[in-house]
Amino acid sequence: MRDFDYVVPKSLDEAVARGKQAEHRFIAGGTLLVDLLRLDVERPAALVDLNAVLSERISWAPNGLTAGALARNSDLADHPDVRRELPALSQALESGASPQIRNLASLGGNLMQRTRCAYFRDPGVAECNKRRPGSGCAALEGYSRMHAVLGGSRACIAVHPSDMSVALLALDAIVRTRRSQGGREIAIADFHALPGETPQVETALEPGEIVTEVFVPASGFSRRSAYVKVRDRAAFAFALASAAVALELSGEKIATARVALGGVATKPWRALEVEAALLGRPPTRETFEAAAKLAANGARTTPHNQFKVELARRVVVRALERAAA
Amino acid sequence: MLVVALAPNFDDPGEEVLEALRAELRCLGAALLLIGTDHSFCFRPDDELVEEPSTDELRLWAAQLFRAQGVESEALTPETLLLGLLDDGGSLRWHTRRELDGDPSLALLEAARLAAKSALAPAPIGVLSRREVVLTSLIGALSLVLLEGCKRSEPQRPAPSASAVSSLAPAPFEREVTLNVNDKDYRLSIEPRVSVLDALRERLGLTGTKKGCDHGQCGACTVLLDGRRVNACLLLAVMVGKRKLTTIEGLAGPAELHPLQEAFVAHDALQCGYCTPGQIVSALGLLREKRATSAEAIREHMSGNLCRCGAYPNIVKAIEAARDAGGDALPARAT
Repeated sequence: MRDFDYVVPKSLDEAVARGKQAEHRFIAGGTLLVDLLRLDVERPAALVDLNAVLSERISWAPNGLTAGALARNSDLADHPDVRRELPALSQALESGASPQIRNLASLGGNLMQRTRCAYFRDPGVAECNKRRPGSGCAALEGYSRMHAVLGGSRACIAVHPSDMSVALLALDAIVRTRRSQGGREIAIADFHALPGETPQVETALEPGEIVTEVFVPASGFSRRSAYVKVRDRAAFAFALASAAVALELSGEKIATARVALGGVATKPWRALEVEAALLGRPPTRETFEAAAKLAANGARTTPHNQFKVELARRVVVRALERAAA
Repeated sequence: MLVVALAPNFDDPGEEVLEALRAELRCLGAALLLIGTDHSFCFRPDDELVEEPSTDELRLWAAQLFRAQGVESEALTPETLLLGLLDDGGSLRWHTRRELDGDPSLALLEAARLAAKSALAPAPIGVLSRREVVLTSLIGALSLVLLEGCKRSEPQRPAPSASAVSSLAPAPFEREVTLNVNDKDYRLSIEPRVSVLDALRERLGLTGTKKGCDHGQCGACTVLLDGRRVNACLLLAVMVGKRKLTTIEGLAGPAELHPLQEAFVAHDALQCGYCTPGQIVSALGLLREKRATSAEAIREHMSGNLCRCGAYPNIVKAIEAARDAGGDALPARAT
């Protein structure tokens, strides 16, 4: 690992200012960044430690959940209010990584997770537009079983790996941040960026801007939510396909539906057509199967990842059945 | 392994080509010795590039090296690049000759890539004569001496001063930290890049915590941080602060093993034993989380600890036994 400086800012404003400096990277839990440092993918001049200037507080109020950016994944997953009020969020967090990593990894860091694309993670591969803008994409002609079928571009088809972010998308979360002009709120749907021609830009954050907390509103559908993840192993693996869903029922009909997909897209993916097809229907397997057919509409597949289209549909059906139960 | 290249004059290959070259050298586990007409350089993958004037002596032995393979370097034109792969025994295992028609540094990179590919192929049957073996061994020995002169790289920022190249000089980002391990304070001067795992093993001599993958995937390095299990390889030592670390060495009492250690012994929950310290510390974390409610739950919540011997069934039994014996206590001094 290359050497780097290490800075502990005394205030959030100082952290923002430090973060704007060239080749300074924020660190919170460090579970991903230390890995990328060791792989020589990240080569910062300095790390700016956010642990002293952010909060790990998790609090539930009638209008929703507020969690500090430092809230550890395990604490958030295990929080009794989160388990009861936002089951999809708790289940998504529990399905990610290992207990050891969840004890270190932070909420903010999970939002900022980088792709697991093997070409991105190997600096010996010359072509990666995320790692070296303009160098090309080795995955397009390479082995792409794990890659995205939705939201990709000619520049990048790397999957966004976060489980938690998929649940936050289904639950309409709001990301609160601090930048030099002050605080702002970013809807989770606008937080992650599509790769387009600039896959190195992964979020809406400006240089130096810091995620300070996340708010998840209590809603008519937040309690009736679920997360289902399919992976190569029974535990501790990234999703081949996953779905976070939430339903609000009115009598025997679906009044509101949220369906978000993970493991298949370049960012946490809202399946709006599936949601529309669920509205006004009874919450039955027949309804779910018909709606789920639309889950991967517009998919662009490679010979290696074609299977994800059908897998995504089935994951959606299973998640809807779990939420409706 | 040493990659020897004999070439016409080279300018600075530029950062991009240099990075790609470094990658090939890492793949080969080799250093590169490039001998140009006027300048030479010798560097390992993480060294900075330092040019030295080429000497006649250097060019002469390189020429001899290739001649031993039947390549007459006198016949080389200014547009020829010769690149060879010298193994640790000093034998030239492989070589290539390329005519340059463009950027010489790109030709160098291309040749290095071919070398990396050739290194993956089975070693060729030796066909060198006795005289050639003696000659190439001498060259190998000489190259090792030259390598000693390689400049070790120092951090790019701030710009390294000449004196910082000395390995005796303190690293520029080093700082004092105090680590509390098994309820004992250790004062260390440490670089920010040092993980808790490396600090424990290399600096404090606490080698019970094992390095498996060094990427947070195997769990062999599991320690407790304020009583909660974490991967010591993913945690930078400078970030620990006043929090308490508990390692496998901290579990047993003065006269008796920790109940989890007893259970692992009683249930034969290991074969080679390399993952065992991580398994036991992780199991302690799990028992403290009160989530070892069933064999299935144990398997799920021990998923961050791999065992390549496949001792899983007995690991689960040992954890169930320790749970039933109330084995979730931290050693008194670490609570």
